[in-house]
Amino acid sequence: MNLQLRPALTALWRNHTGALLVAAQIGVALAVLVNAACIVHQRIAKMSRPTGIDYRNEFVVWSQAFTDRFDFPSALREDISYLRGLPGVVDATQANSVPMGWSNNSTEFRASTDPNAPRVQLSMFNMDDHAINTLGTHLIAGRNFRPDEILPPLTVENPSEFVPVLILSRDAAQKLYGSANAVGKAIYDDAGHAATVIGVIENVISTSWGVVTGSDQIVLIPRHTYKLGPSWYLVRTQPGERDALMRTVEEHMSRSNPNRVIQRVDALEMYKDTLYRDDRNMAIFLLTVTVLVLIVTCVGIVGLVTFNVSTRTRQIGTRRALGARCRDVIRYFLVENALVTTTGILAGVVLALGVGYLLSLHFQLPRLDLLYLLAGVLALWLIALLSAWQPARRAATVAPAVATRTL
Amino acid sequence: MIGYYLRLALHSFRRNVGLTSVMVIAVGLGIAVCVVMLTIYHAMSGNPIWWKAERLYAVTMDLGYADKPFNVKHPELPPPQLAYRDAKYLAAHAPARRHSLSFWSVAVIVADGAHAAPTPISTRETTADFFAMFDVPFQYGTGWSSREDQGPAPVIVLSKSMNDKLFGGENSVGRTVRWNDHPFRVVGVLKDWLPMPKFFDLVSGAFNAPEAGYIPFAWGVTLKQVPNAGSVDCTSRNPVNSYDDFLNADCMWLQLWVELPDAASRTQMQTLMDNYWSEQRKAGRFPRARNNRLTNVDQWLRDNDVVRDDNRVLIGLAMAFLAICLFNTIGVLLAKFLGRASITGIRRALGATRRDITVQYLLEAGVLAVAGATFGLVLAAFGLAAVRALYSQPDRGGFQELTHFDTTSVLWAVALAAVSALAAGCYPAWRMGRLPPARYLKA
Repeated sequence: MNLQLRPALTALWRNHTGALLVAAQIGVALAVLVNAACIVHQRIAKMSRPTGIDYRNEFVVWSQAFTDRFDFPSALREDISYLRGLPGVVDATQANSVPMGWSNNSTEFRASTDPNAPRVQLSMFNMDDHAINTLGTHLIAGRNFRPDEILPPLTVENPSEFVPVLILSRDAAQKLYGSANAVGKAIYDDAGHAATVIGVIENVISTSWGVVTGSDQIVLIPRHTYKLGPSWYLVRTQPGERDALMRTVEEHMSRSNPNRVIQRVDALEMYKDTLYRDDRNMAIFLLTVTVLVLIVTCVGIVGLVTFNVSTRTRQIGTRRALGARCRDVIRYFLVENALVTTTGILAGVVLALGVGYLLSLHFQLPRLDLLYLLAGVLALWLIALLSAWQPARRAATVAPAVATRTL
Repeated sequence: MIGYYLRLALHSFRRNVGLTSVMVIAVGLGIAVCVVMLTIYHAMSGNPIWWKAERLYAVTMDLGYADKPFNVKHPELPPPQLAYRDAKYLAAHAPARRHSLSFWSVAVIVADGAHAAPTPISTRETTADFFAMFDVPFQYGTGWSSREDQGPAPVIVLSKSMNDKLFGGENSVGRTVRWNDHPFRVVGVLKDWLPMPKFFDLVSGAFNAPEAGYIPFAWGVTLKQVPNAGSVDCTSRNPVNSYDDFLNADCMWLQLWVELPDAASRTQMQTLMDNYWSEQRKAGRFPRARNNRLTNVDQWLRDNDVVRDDNRVLIGLAMAFLAICLFNTIGVLLAKFLGRASITGIRRALGATRRDITVQYLLEAGVLAVAGATFGLVLAAFGLAAVRALYSQPDRGGFQELTHFDTTSVLWAVALAAVSALAAGCYPAWRMGRLPPARYLKA
């Protein structure tokens, strides 16, 4: 096929500034498109990481005691029996930390007394025997806590940190023992206290601190938590009942005990939104600007081809008069545009790789995946072709008679 | 002459409204995206107390684990907070003009009066100098004195919004409130005060609003408070069996700032820390290498990664976008100008110099840039409102303040418009000035 490269090149050389400007736009657009897509993909992967819990049907009550008159054991009994007795509630537990919440309590654990044994940082969820059901996870080995194993809270009068039994998440067991089968094994905390692993549950997302720092394995500790200050109840509801129950619970618990206030009642979904807010916003910013980049680049291409067509009306007419068919004219402009696009894309590939390298070097972003580059090149080529199509077709409508008019 | 050039420019815009609006929109979009990103970046990277840049210092010592750095991302840095016994010693012996020792907790407050409802209040327990050191503005009353730190006296300072909530904005100095069920006397009410970032305590969130209440630091120990908010990082393995054990443990939960007016006092403070460190090291504490730091606010904000990498990436993205918009505009301007080559030829033949022609076209590009910048500013205002909506969050009011459309935004837009006008207009105007007139006169 004769692509008529030579006349296209000659014409381009005549107005090389305009063509170079469009090529530059395409180059920068490719670098932006490819790197933005790569980062957005990374963020979406992060946000869609499984939580391991029934978070859509869960909410958190943040209760804050403020006087020495607050009687923790009776308040706990009353609150828990109220929450578990509500129609529509699947289960509820008191907690020191909740998944994706901001309150975090973590310690390093070891699988043996050997001080050189690898230490694994685990977020501690102090919850009772209803924890597994409330979270909406399940045991993969061993057993749940028995009600009589739940310890009273740590206080100044009762400072013993000793915990006889605990439950690990799958990854925590894997990291400590090299396998998920940890039931019956001994475990040691930072201060050297020993405990026995009685169960292993499926992975559950950690607190926001754990997720952000990447140490996001958890351990369930069978203990109630009390300090003058925040305390949490985690509540799991039947599907569709959550929002109504949140209102009911807030109204009741705000009045049920004068020695505490209910700071907030929030859906766990809100915690998740907050946790990933910056990632989501980054993805939104990147997508918005990338779309704008593509639009402006398209406008640039349309502008260039339109300009070329309008300044060469007479030549087109002459060619038509000399026997060129409509599609020869269209092809001519598309080829000319393809030359510009390809120049821009070649420069863009170098730019994209350079920017990708710098980003991974300075900002701990993932290395640019070459598949993205390939997809980006194809996408931009196609977009450029489509942008040139309409003005090129208009060129084909130039009547052969135009050529004779100014003679 | 300028007036005539302006008329010519307007005439040229009217002749081709489509192309003109493409250029204005392109320049406007480019400027808007840049202004939005720069406004956020500016707010994040600002030093809210720049006038004390060389006076305020955060005090840190490395009480981390023996075998691993506290902060994996910055292994050279000590933990951002101090243990009680160290902070207490340093505060007591500091040669500083002022010092502030503090931590953050969550409490409940009730105003005097029979029907007042208990209200949650985030509280900073701090020492008397806090207000003078950080130039905290007062609406009513004042802070407390160092003598009242000792008692500690039951005194409290409220933020403006807390005073509005509890007392309807009245002068509440002298009134009594119950803070966690203990009576406190209001001695001061702050004006609106929103240092961004919240440099004096970045652990609880760099863009959180400051606390709503302030009480003397010693109340923490008097009421045997274990911090119930913020962060407590323990690196010792000694068992904690009483409140005194907790105070003496290697648990880091306090922020210590000192105001050191000159180099001499800085050296003195550094010596104090180093001597204390050696002494404690002999006693078996501080297993890591000596890393005693006095960090000024600018460095402190950098050390704590207040400006996120994402925001730097977005600045780059915005600049790339503006570049594309400018390339686009240069192309369109060039085409548009060249379309008027024959008129320009006539003007040259009638005596206009090359410079006249260049100035005329530059002016046209300038008018375009001004129109683009105006459009861009309007877009940026909408853009920032949208960003604010993206960041809206029930308990983190401060973040929204970041995205305010302010004078900084306007200044950025003006600067960018000037750059755009020059960048986009120079080459096409120069090309027009160099056109050989004769060729265009023939046709």
